[in-house]
Amino acid sequence: MLTSLADGPKHGYAITADVQELAGINLGPGTLYGALSRLEDRGLIEALPAEDRRRPYRLTSSGRTALEEQLRSLEAVATRGLRRLRAAEVSP
Amino acid sequence: MTAKLARLTLRLYPHAFRRRYGDEMRALLEQSPPGARGILDLMHGALAAHLHPPELAAASVDPGNRVRASAGGVLVCWVVFAAAGFAFYKTTEDAPFSAAGRAHLLLGAAHVAVQAAAVTASAVVVLGALPLIWAACRHARDEHRLRIVVAPILPLALFGCLTAILIALAGGRRAGQQGVTGLGSVAFTLWGLIGLACAIACAVGCRRALFATPLRPGRLLVALGSATFVSFAMMVIAAAVAAYAIALALDASRLSATANGPFQVLSTGASLAAQVIVMVVAAAIAVTVSRRGWRVAGRLGGV
Repeated sequence: MLTSLADGPKHGYAITADVQELAGINLGPGTLYGALSRLEDRGLIEALPAEDRRRPYRLTSSGRTALEEQLRSLEAVATRGLRRLRAAEVSP
Repeated sequence: MTAKLARLTLRLYPHAFRRRYGDEMRALLEQSPPGARGILDLMHGALAAHLHPPELAAASVDPGNRVRASAGGVLVCWVVFAAAGFAFYKTTEDAPFSAAGRAHLLLGAAHVAVQAAAVTASAVVVLGALPLIWAACRHARDEHRLRIVVAPILPLALFGCLTAILIALAGGRRAGQQGVTGLGSVAFTLWGLIGLACAIACAVGCRRALFATPLRPGRLLVALGSATFVSFAMMVIAAAVAAYAIALALDASRLSATANGPFQVLSTGASLAAQVIVMVVAAAIAVTVSRRGWRVAGRLGGV
């Protein structure tokens, strides 16, 4: 969900659609708003003024930092994993 | 149909959560109506929101109303718990159970513990409610809003009338014939279910009256203290009933296996197990609800 908000504010429906496209996960409404409330509590996202009942959310600066750390860590794991796979293919 | 069900499911969420996210959740459900899986997801979300309420949403709720919600919630739990307690009383009221209680120490002790805790908790419910009833009556009189006090009393009055009619009918039948008939079992079960519905309607009416009545912080704290005491008493009673059920199965297994209840469908052991489950669930919800009240009790100064 943080990745979904990385390119700008989105409301609930747009987050659901984006997560579906990004990760192939179909977020139910209960899961979506449970996660939004937890992320808000942790100060990682913040709500913007509502537009026609729909409230957009955006990353806070600590949310941006947390997302960057998480993505770098995932990137490191993915890079090492791929390197190991290639090494295993080369060696007999 | 599912869109309507989804909107109803939203009502399962805590008040604070609905205040904060309700509008946008409704907008989302209108834009993309959920299927059965989505409804289950909402139910799961509602349970999670009750167990781990979001702090930001909870902070936006007036502490007085939070305490009112806790006291009212415990009252509703107490009503459901009392129904299971009444079933326990009816299950174990016959002479063989009294004899078994005298013969086996744990059985007797568990039964006495249930009775003592039930009497104490009932007294605390009454003592905790009296100042609130007094304040609600005064407020209803001053503001000419009699509905506040009539709504909780009406279901009790209706149930009282129904009980009186049934007693009169049973008296007439007893004069003519002996023994419990199938009709008697049906009437007793219906009476019990109507009683439970009336008690829940009364508790919901009390909860509404609690929200409609301005109360000083001291009175709210007394109500919350009483609710907390009752919640823990419910835990004690549930534990004692569980101990009784286990002791009965071990020490008086024939009694435990005997068919019991209005239709003689369940064994005594199975009836007791069902009662323990209802009691534990009601007590656990009550403890959770009262804990939530204490979290904001320190901010009650401005009520």
